[in-house]
Amino acid sequence: MAMIEARNLAKSYAGKAAVSGLSFDVRPGTVTGFLGPNGAGKSTTMRLMLGLDNGSGTCTFDGKPFTSYAQPMREVGALLEAKPFHPTRSARNHLRMLAAANRIPDSRVDEVLGLVGLHDVAGKKPSTFSLGMGQRLGLAAALLGDPHTLILDEPANGLDPQGIHWLRELLKALAADGRSVFVSSHLLSEMALMADELVVIGKGRMIANGPVADFTKMSVRNHVRVVTPQASELASLIGAKLAGVGSVQLAAAGELTVTGLDARAVGDLAFDNAIRVHELSTHQATLEEAFLEITGSSAEYNAHAPEQHAPKPPTTPQEGPR
Amino acid sequence: MTAALRYEITRLRTLRSTWWLTFGVLFVGVGFTAIASLVIRLNLHTDELNGQQLSGDMAKFYVDAAMTQFSIVDPMFYLVAFVAAIVGVLAWGHEYRHGMIRATLTAVPQRWAVFSAKYVVVGAWVVVLVVTSCLLSLLVASIFFMGIDVSYEAEDILVTILRHVLYSVLVTWLAMSLTVLVRHQTFALVMLFLWPMGIETLVKAFAVMVSAFSGNKVYEHATRFLPFNAGGRIMQTFGALPGGTFGLQHPSQMFGDPLSLLGGTIVFGGFSALITAGAFAAFVTRDA
Repeated sequence: MAMIEARNLAKSYAGKAAVSGLSFDVRPGTVTGFLGPNGAGKSTTMRLMLGLDNGSGTCTFDGKPFTSYAQPMREVGALLEAKPFHPTRSARNHLRMLAAANRIPDSRVDEVLGLVGLHDVAGKKPSTFSLGMGQRLGLAAALLGDPHTLILDEPANGLDPQGIHWLRELLKALAADGRSVFVSSHLLSEMALMADELVVIGKGRMIANGPVADFTKMSVRNHVRVVTPQASELASLIGAKLAGVGSVQLAAAGELTVTGLDARAVGDLAFDNAIRVHELSTHQATLEEAFLEITGSSAEYNAHAPEQHAPKPPTTPQEGPR
Repeated sequence: MTAALRYEITRLRTLRSTWWLTFGVLFVGVGFTAIASLVIRLNLHTDELNGQQLSGDMAKFYVDAAMTQFSIVDPMFYLVAFVAAIVGVLAWGHEYRHGMIRATLTAVPQRWAVFSAKYVVVGAWVVVLVVTSCLLSLLVASIFFMGIDVSYEAEDILVTILRHVLYSVLVTWLAMSLTVLVRHQTFALVMLFLWPMGIETLVKAFAVMVSAFSGNKVYEHATRFLPFNAGGRIMQTFGALPGGTFGLQHPSQMFGDPLSLLGGTIVFGGFSALITAGAFAAFVTRDA
C-alpha cells in the first residue's frame, strides 16, 4: 500500500511561476483526479513528482522519492506523453526495452499487450498506430511492472468510447485492488464517474483538494427548486430562516430556487406553515459545472465566443455603362 | 548502472537503423577495399616488388591502406568512423526527437547511469564495428593479394586497428555529446560532417591566406590544433615528408607539425572530453 505525498512542489519558467507550493496526498485504494484548466501546471506537476523537471519541493512514493528506486517501474507506472516511443521499434520491443531495465520478464510484456488490446499489433511499427493505440501502448508501459502507484497524464486522449469505458473500469479495478491512481483528464464526465478524490489547480496553485462530493458542494449551482402556488409567502419564510446565509429567488411564476437550505428543511418549513408544495427537488451541480465555476478565474487561456454576424443582404449585380 | 546498461543494449539492438547503418558501412567499406585491392593488384608496379615480395614501409602502406580504406593517408576517407558517429547521434537524437527521454528516465531515473550507459554501450558497439571492418577488409585484401608474399608484423596490424578504434570512439562520443547539448538530431548530424569538412577546411584556407600575405607561417601551422585535424593524426601515418616526398611519417615532437599520435589524441581527446563534460552537466541539470 503506497501513498503519494507531494509537498511544496514549485517550478517557474523565466521568473513566471508554473507551479507554486502544491501539497497533496494520493491515498491507496483511490482514484485521485487531477484537474485544472489548460496551462494550469498539471503536466509540470507530474514531471516534478517524477524528478523529470527540476524544481523545488518533494514527492515521495511509499516514503521514497521516485529517483531512489532501482527498479522504479515495479513501484510507479507513469504515462506522460501521448506517443512516447520510437516510430519504427515494434510495440513489443519498446516494452521489452523498458522491461530489461527493471528486470521484468518478457512474458509480462505479452501479458500487458493483451491487457490493453494490442496483442495483434505487438510486432508492428508504432508509426502506424492511431493516437488511441499509442495511448494504449503508453498504458501498457505504465502497467508493465505491475506497480502499486500509477501517474497518468490524460490517458483517455484519443481513446474511443469503448476505450474510455475500458480505461475507467481498469483504473477503478486497480484502485479497488489497493493501488494509488493519480490521473489527469479533461473529460470531466469521465472523472466524475471514476475519481474518488480530486486535486484541482489553477495557475499552478491549489484550488481544491478532497472528495469529489465536497468539490461539487462548493458550487453555487447547487439549489433546491420549489414549485408552489404560494411562492411569495414561502419565499418570505425561507428568507427569514436563511438570515443572510444563502438565497431565495423567484425563478418563474410559482417557482423558487433556494440555496443555503436543503430540500428537507424547505419541505419542513412549508409543512409547518401549511403551504401547498407541488414540486420539491434538489439540483446537484455536476463536476463540470463546479469545475467551470471554481476555475473560471484561474484559466490561463480564455477563448472568446465567435462573433455573430448578421446575414448580409443579397447584392444585386450593378450594370456599368456599356 | 546495470539497469541502464541493459536498457541501452536493448534500445540499440531493437532499432533498425543500428543494423542497416552497421551492415551498410561494413558493405561499403569492405567493398571499397575489394575494389581498391583489385585496382592495386592489377597496377602494382614490378619495381615495387622484390621478386613476389612486399616488405618494409611499402608492405605497411598496402596492408594498412587496404584494411582502413586509405584513412592512413587522409582521415576523411574513414567512413566507418562517421557512420559509427551517426549511430551515436541517433542514440541521443531519438530520445529528444521522439520524446523518448521521459520514458527512458521513468525506466531508469538515475541520470548519470543513463548518460554513462549510452557512452559505454555505443562505444562498445563502435569498437566491434571498427575491428570487424578492419579484419574483413584485411581478409578481402589478402584474397586479392594472394600470391604475393607480404611481410608484415601482426603487432603492426593490431596497432593500426587500435588507432582506428580510438579515433572512431572519440568521434562518436563527440557527436553524442554535441547532440545532448543542442538536443537536435538533424543539427548534430549536419555538424558531424560540416565541421570537419566545411568549417575546419575554411579555417585552414583562411589561415593559409593570412600566412601567405603576412609571410608568417605560424597561422597555417596553428591549424594542426583544429579538433578534427588533430584527431586525424590518430589514424594518419602516411603523408608528405620533408623534401616533398610521400612516405611513413615519424613525427618527432608531440605537438610538432604534424602532431604525433599522442599529441593528436591529447588535443582531440581533450576536446571530446570537454564537450562531453558540458553535455553531462547539461543532462543532469536540465528538465527532461
